[in-house]
Amino acid sequence: MCKKLVQMMQGKIWMSTNSQGYIQSTSLVLRFQIQQTFNRPMFDLTNFIDQPKSNSIFRGLQVILADDDGVNRMVTKKLLEKLGCQVTTVSSGFECLSSLGPTMSPFHVVILDLHMPEMDGFEVATRIRKFRSRNRPLIIALTASAEEQVWERCLQVGMNGVIRKPVLLRGLEIELRTVLQRAGERLSS
Amino acid sequence: MAAVPQLQRQFIEYTTSLYNEGYLDDQFTQLQKLQDESNPDFVAEVVSLFFEDSEKLLNNLATAIQQKSVDYKQVDSHVHQFKGSSSSIGAQRVTNVCVHFRNYCEEKNLDGCLRCLQQLKHEYILVRNKLEALFRLEQQILQAGGSIPMME
Repeated sequence: MCKKLVQMMQGKIWMSTNSQGYIQSTSLVLRFQIQQTFNRPMFDLTNFIDQPKSNSIFRGLQVILADDDGVNRMVTKKLLEKLGCQVTTVSSGFECLSSLGPTMSPFHVVILDLHMPEMDGFEVATRIRKFRSRNRPLIIALTASAEEQVWERCLQVGMNGVIRKPVLLRGLEIELRTVLQRAGERLSS
Repeated sequence: MAAVPQLQRQFIEYTTSLYNEGYLDDQFTQLQKLQDESNPDFVAEVVSLFFEDSEKLLNNLATAIQQKSVDYKQVDSHVHQFKGSSSSIGAQRVTNVCVHFRNYCEEKNLDGCLRCLQQLKHEYILVRNKLEALFRLEQQILQAGGSIPMME
């Protein structure tokens, strides 16, 4: 399990043994990227960054999921709940924005389908980022597209991550964890 | 009434054939893994919703394609939605037709679109029948007092 976590962080972990085959020491190499720091701290995320080895990182995480398709909503919601998140679902960009409200944002993470009619994920993210509030949620895009331009545009509008559809539990877990850890790194820097 | 082991073997064989013939893929396996004691009917619920939505989409598609002046953006939008929902439950063959269908929409190829709509209806009905057969097998196993084998 340690090996998996380290590999996810693009590092290496190995054990060295002595001549009798007993484990003598463990070595760990990790690579860290220097991140841009934000001026204002992310709220309430300290609970979620202090548990590096288990899925309790997600327990109690308040997520709002916006997807106009009923089947996708049902499946993605269940996947998130499996990880321990508390999920609220909405079926449009408008509903998403009204649930977030202009100042108080009880949600830690917003997961947005990019391709919604009337108001797409990019527009929703742009509007969320315009909020003056200190409590800005993390935003993760959901898209079937693998195009780099789409992913770049996500970053440009201020999103924190991208998950490819159809959603798999592992992919969801990894991206959520990465996004939370990056936020945590900014918090503690 | 058939014995539980026999029914279970039938279930495994049937499920395996559905995967081998491309009717279902890993997304469906994931759905089954998401089902648990707190949500024992999860797969049936999602699949029912998929059936409902699909039938609406097929009707909408038929209407859109029969317009005097076809709005290909509208057609594409329906197909895109169908592609999304079918891929989240693992109805692989349906998803594949959607991919081709979207290409024809982009080309504004009416003939191609008409053919794809037919194919889409066909694949949808096939997968619906197969999933319903699968659920019936499950019910038979449960009623005989057995448990559903976990497919890996």
